[in-house]
Amino acid sequence: MDRRTVLKGLAGAGGLALTGGLSAPAIAQGAAARTLRFVPQANLANFDPIWGTQYVVRNAAALVWDTLYGIDAQLQPQRQMVESEEVTDDGTTWTFKLRSGLKFHDGEPVLSKDVVASLSRWAARDPMGLMIKALQQELTAVDDRTFKWVLKQPYPKMLYALAKNNSPCSFIMPERIARTDPFKQITDYVGSGPMKFAKTEWVPGAKAVFEKFADYVPRQEKASWLAGGKQILVDRVEWVVMPDPATAAAALQNGEVDWWESPIADLVPVLKKNKNISVDIGDPLGNVGSFRMNHLYPPFNDVRARRAVLMALSQEDYMRAIVGDDTALWKPLPGFFTPDTPLYSEAGGEILKGKRDFDAAKKLLAESGYAGQPVTCLVAQDQPITKAQGDVTADLLKRLGMNVDFVATDWGTVGSRRAQKTPPGQGGWAMFHTWHAGADCINPAPYTAIRANGDKAWFGWPNSPGVEKEVTAWFDAKNLDEEKAAVARLNKAALEDVVYAPTGFFLSYTAWRKNVSGITKGPLPFFWGVSKSA
Amino acid sequence: MLSYILRRILATLPVMAIVALFVFSLLYIAPGDPAVVIAGDQASPEDVERIRQSLGLDRPFLIQFGDWVWRILHGDLGTSIFTNLPVSAMIGQRLGPTLSLMTVTLLLTIVVAVPLGVVAAWKAGSLVDRAIMAFAVFGFSLPVFVVGYMLAYIFALELEWLPVQGYTPLSEGFWPWLENLILPAIALGCVYIALVARITRAAMLEVLQQDYIRTARAKGLGQGGILFIHALKNAAVPIVTVIGIGIALLIGGAVVTESVFAIPGLGRLTVDAILRRDYPVIQGIVLLFSFVYVLVNLLIDVTYTLVDPRIRY
Repeated sequence: MDRRTVLKGLAGAGGLALTGGLSAPAIAQGAAARTLRFVPQANLANFDPIWGTQYVVRNAAALVWDTLYGIDAQLQPQRQMVESEEVTDDGTTWTFKLRSGLKFHDGEPVLSKDVVASLSRWAARDPMGLMIKALQQELTAVDDRTFKWVLKQPYPKMLYALAKNNSPCSFIMPERIARTDPFKQITDYVGSGPMKFAKTEWVPGAKAVFEKFADYVPRQEKASWLAGGKQILVDRVEWVVMPDPATAAAALQNGEVDWWESPIADLVPVLKKNKNISVDIGDPLGNVGSFRMNHLYPPFNDVRARRAVLMALSQEDYMRAIVGDDTALWKPLPGFFTPDTPLYSEAGGEILKGKRDFDAAKKLLAESGYAGQPVTCLVAQDQPITKAQGDVTADLLKRLGMNVDFVATDWGTVGSRRAQKTPPGQGGWAMFHTWHAGADCINPAPYTAIRANGDKAWFGWPNSPGVEKEVTAWFDAKNLDEEKAAVARLNKAALEDVVYAPTGFFLSYTAWRKNVSGITKGPLPFFWGVSKSA
Repeated sequence: MLSYILRRILATLPVMAIVALFVFSLLYIAPGDPAVVIAGDQASPEDVERIRQSLGLDRPFLIQFGDWVWRILHGDLGTSIFTNLPVSAMIGQRLGPTLSLMTVTLLLTIVVAVPLGVVAAWKAGSLVDRAIMAFAVFGFSLPVFVVGYMLAYIFALELEWLPVQGYTPLSEGFWPWLENLILPAIALGCVYIALVARITRAAMLEVLQQDYIRTARAKGLGQGGILFIHALKNAAVPIVTVIGIGIALLIGGAVVTESVFAIPGLGRLTVDAILRRDYPVIQGIVLLFSFVYVLVNLLIDVTYTLVDPRIRY
C-alpha cells in the first residue's frame, strides 16, 4: 500500500459519506410563502399523543388528529367532529352522531367504530377518561355515524372531557391504529385533522413537517382555539427544533424562521426592538409555579412546617427570578387556580398575602419539632424555571433557619427521584420544584397536582380528606355557581393543608415575523387561520 | 502491513466490548428514568410503572445486557425508546451533518494551522511569531459557543452574509451545503487551529535546527522549498498525531457547535438522548464514537509509514 492508494481511499470514503446515502433531509432550504417555519417549545421526540403526554406532542397532534368536541376561548366545549348529541333524562346514556364527509388522511371515511376504538384507548390513559371508564356500561357503534356511551351513573362533565385541551386529548384515529396498546407507541400516523404528518421528513430532535390535508372538511363557524373551522392557509408547516434560544432569536431576526413559540424573557427586549417582529403574550392561561413538599417524612409531614414555609414565601421573589423585571409577565397567586378563569378563587389565600412574617414562621417551624435535620431540596439545573425557583427556595429555607441539602441535578434525575417514597436520607427527598400549565389548573379535572388522596396523589403524596371532598363536589356540581363554590372550598382546604406551595402565576411571550398574520393567543399554538405573505 | 492492519482491527473488538459493558453499566446505575419522561408531568406512578414494563426496563440488569449484546452481534443497535425508530436509522440521519462539519473543520484547520505554525517557526522570536502564538492562545482560550455567537452576530445578523442555523446536504448543491457550515466550522476549528499551529511550530523548530536543513540552505534552496518540502515532511509525525487526537476534540466540540448552530447532527442527538435517558440511542452513539476513535488511531499509525519511510510495522 502506498500513500496515493490511502489518500484515494480516504477521499472516496469522504465523498460517499457526504453526497450519498448518508446525507439527511434538508433543514434549511429557501423560504417559501406557502411554508410556515415554526420553532416549537421543545423537541418532538415521539408522536403518539396518548402514549406520550408532553405538551409538544399534544400541540403537534392537534394538527394531525381532530377531536369530537373542542374547547373554545371561553373554555366551553363546542361540537367539532360531532354533528349532534343526545343524553337521556337520567344522564346515563349519551348518543352521538358524527358529521358527514369526515375523512382520514388515507381517504377512508371516519366511522363510529374508529371513534369507539379511539375513545377506548384514550380512556385507558386520561384521568377523566378513567373516571368515565369506571362508570361505563358499554361503548358501542350503533351505525357508521352514530355511537353510544352508556354509563352506570351520570357523568356531568362528559362534553368537557371530550373537548378538553389537556393532555391526553381524545384524538380520533383509524380503528387499526387506535387498537394499539395505550402503553405502546403507534407507528402509523394517519390522522383525521387538517394537516398530514410527513413521516419521511421527520428528523426527531431537528425537524417535523406537516402538509395541508386537502380533503379535510372544516366547520363553518369561526375558529376559536380547538373549536370551529380549522382553515389551513399555508401548504406546509415546518417545525424547526432549536435547542439554543439565542439561535432561535437570531434565526427569527434573520427571517430563517417565521414564528417562535416561546422566546425566553431575556431575549424578548431584542426581539421587540426589531421592526420586522411582533411580540405578544402567547398563552393567556400562563403557568403556575410550584414546589412540592414530601408529606411522608419530617419536617414536612407536619402541616405546621409546611405552613411556616408558606408564611415566609414571597411570590414576588420567585416570579422576578423566573421572568425578570417585566411586571406584565407575572402576578401573585394566593391560591391554586388560574387567574382570570371562571373558577379562580382566593379563598384562604391570606397566608400568601401581605408582608412576610419570618418571626411567626420560625416560631411555627419550631413548634412543628424541626430540629435542624437536612432538608433535601431537588433542583433541576437544566430547566431555567426550576433552577430559578430552587435558588429562591434555598435562600428562603436558610433564612428560616433550615439546614438545606441542595441537590443540583438535571430534570431527568428529578423526574426519577421524586417518585421515591424512601426517606430523604435514603434516596428520597423533602422538596422539589416544578410548574403547571395554567390550562391544567382551570378546574380540578386535569389538575393532578391538586389531588390529596395519599398514596394515589401526585409526588409528595398529600393526604387531605377535605380537599378530596371538594374535588368530588366539583365533579358532581350541576351548574357554574355550584362549581365555583366547590372550588373556593377546595382552594381554602388545599392552602390550609398546604397540598403544595404555589410560587406565583407567570406568562410567556410568543414572537413572529410581521409577514405572518392570524396568530391567536391560546394554550397551544393554533395554525388554522395563520397565513404568510411573501 | 496488511497483517498489521488486520491485527489492529481485531484488537478493536475487545476494546469495543469493554466500552459496551462500561456504557451499559453506567447507564444502568445512572439516576433517571425514561418512563418518567415519557409519561409526562401529570402521570400517575402506576402509569409510569406500566410504561417501564412495556419498555422492558423492569427486567434484571443481566437479562437487559444479554439481550442488548445479542442484538448488537446481529447488527441491530435497537430501537429508540422515545421515537420508536431504529437507532441505526437515527444515526444515519445525523451522520451526514456531523461528517460534513468535521470534514470542513479538519480541512480548514490544516489549511490555516499548518502554514501558521510553519511561518511562526520560520520567524521564531519575531513579531510575526508572537502575533501567531498570541492568536493561538486566544483561540485556545475562547469557548466554542462564545465564538459561535460572535460569528453569528457579525456574519449572519449584521452583515447578512451567511445563515444563522441549519444544514443543507451536499446533494442540494455545493454552496448551499458550504454556507451553512462556514460559521460552525470556524467556531469549532478555533481551538483545533490553535493546537495544531502550536504543535507545528514546536516540531518545525526542532527540525529547522537539523544539519540537513543547514545543508539545504548552503546548497541555495529557496526558503519555501526548505520549509514545506524538507522541514515540514520531517516534522509531520507529531503534527499528524495531534490532528488525529484532535478528532476526539472535534467530536466533543460538535456537541456544542451543533446546538449553537442548530445543525441536526450526532452531537445534538447525543445531548437529547442523554437528557431523556434514551438508553439505546446513547449506547449506539457511544459505540460509534468509540469505533471511530479507534479507527482514527489506526489511520494515524498507517499514515506514519507514509510520511516517514523509516517506520515499518
